[in-house]
Amino acid sequence: MDTVSQRVLEYLIEVEDAAEDVLTTKHQIVDLDSKRNRNREALNALRTEISDSEKVKVCFGNMFIKFPKSKTREMIQKDQDQLEKEINDLRKGLKAKVNHLNEIQGKPELQGYNLSPLTTDEIKAMTSLFNK
Amino acid sequence: MATPKVPEVRDIMRIERIGAHSHIRGLGLDDALEPRQVSQGMVGQLASRRAAGVILEMIKDGHIAGRAVLIAGQPGTGKTAIAMGIAQSLGADTPFTALAGSEIFSLEMSKTEALSQAFRKAIGVRIKEETEIIEGEVVEIQIDRPATGTGAKVGKLTLKTTEMETIYDLGNKMIDSLSKEKVQAGDVITIDKATGKISKLGRSFTRARDYDAMGAQTQFVQCPEGELQKRKEVVHTVSLHEIDVINSRTQGFLALFSGDTGEIKSEVREQINAKVCEWREEGKAEIIPGVLFIDEVHMLDMECFSFLNRALESDLSPVLIMATNRGITRIRGTNYQSPHGIPIDLLDRLLIIATSPYTEKETRQILKIRCEEEDVELSEEAHTVLTRIGMETSLRYAIQLISTAGLVCRKRKGTEVQVEDIKRVYSLFLDEARSSQYMKEYQDSFLFNETQTATMDTS
Repeated sequence: MDTVSQRVLEYLIEVEDAAEDVLTTKHQIVDLDSKRNRNREALNALRTEISDSEKVKVCFGNMFIKFPKSKTREMIQKDQDQLEKEINDLRKGLKAKVNHLNEIQGKPELQGYNLSPLTTDEIKAMTSLFNK
Repeated sequence: MATPKVPEVRDIMRIERIGAHSHIRGLGLDDALEPRQVSQGMVGQLASRRAAGVILEMIKDGHIAGRAVLIAGQPGTGKTAIAMGIAQSLGADTPFTALAGSEIFSLEMSKTEALSQAFRKAIGVRIKEETEIIEGEVVEIQIDRPATGTGAKVGKLTLKTTEMETIYDLGNKMIDSLSKEKVQAGDVITIDKATGKISKLGRSFTRARDYDAMGAQTQFVQCPEGELQKRKEVVHTVSLHEIDVINSRTQGFLALFSGDTGEIKSEVREQINAKVCEWREEGKAEIIPGVLFIDEVHMLDMECFSFLNRALESDLSPVLIMATNRGITRIRGTNYQSPHGIPIDLLDRLLIIATSPYTEKETRQILKIRCEEEDVELSEEAHTVLTRIGMETSLRYAIQLISTAGLVCRKRKGTEVQVEDIKRVYSLFLDEARSSQYMKEYQDSFLFNETQTATMDTS
């Protein structure tokens, strides 16, 4: 009885761990995306609302620093690229994690999600099939 | 540790008439592929169910393609039931095409065309569609039009999900498509990042009380969760035949519904095969060999058999399951005799599963399942009588009697079918043996009687 319950417990812990892992990754993606959107807003604002010669105040932690506009834009752009990459990596990892979770829960693996996508032209040719 | 048994979920969406095999929900095997005596509508036939289970596992793993299985047995021994069981347990993703042998003899298209269409219907292609979308609830939409009326419009769109909120600057084109879609605050929309196409999913629940008067077609949806910029991946499974059809004619996909697809040129098929193979090489598609089930396969003629022989060898070939109730008989279209009415060279490629007649206990069990399926209550004695009838005439006849006896019982306002009801329908409807008997007795009074030749044939 004791060894059995021990085994059940271990199994449950494993499942919970995997599920927690999936949730954290999801949350991370959300956080990164909100950062990405804020950066995008900043870039838009820099482009439209401030003249080129002006310097802008940038908030670093709890301090505002005046920075030339072009430099700021460059910085944010770099940050943005970095974020894109991170989100992509996380999404790739998420698939593996979800599959792992399904596996230890004894659910069937999601099939077809590791295929590379069709190009837009190919999709367009097939859409009539999908919408039936 | 054994995984808990998943309860059998019946698909509610599919409304089916009560067909002869509507009670079959699977092969009734446990995790170790051992058949249970009574499970998922299947009764008895343990050996053949086990064999079918092994084949099923191989199909699921994609191990066998281009193989063929023959289910052979006397009439009413559950051949079609086993095939149905395989179909049910394959799941929605694996294509299963059922066909009766005589269906291919149509005036619309040649026999081989009908067969190759059936073959291609049984092969699935799995592809993935990936789109970057922005999905959120519109918080505010603000559009500034220049006072002069001409010139660029500018605007801002505030979108939110349950986790975040952000402002988008809108260009001229975006503003146009937003106003065309009549997007207002409170709508939940998606924007395709690549094409900029906007689609309205519905109104957010939180804004449900903004207006009392609303069109009946207004849909309410939850405010989306998670990130705003999402990646949507959709996996589609289509059959090769469907791809053939949309590419074969100018009339496009409508042909799929009218049913009249006509003949498809072999060049089109070759092109599609090449394209699908290219996708597979590039990792864009997976090919799922499905199952083609041909019932009453002895109805096929020599040409069809030789076509099957060749088609099984092509690299895009499904698993072929055939069923027949014939013993050694003439191959259609020839004068040669062959087991099951199938040429020896094709027979050689087949895995053959035999079904055997049901025992009395199994017959009783099947009748009970059918009663439940047809919503007829049977008293204990009536059940015994019916089982007897089933053993002495045929299982099919006994099953027919269930619903008719149910009607008789309802007519006399009874709740449970009694022996009298069974007796009544037994006297009303003849079974095959009694009908033949009757024929023999009264042959002289029938028109065109050719008893001499007829008796020759049946014997």
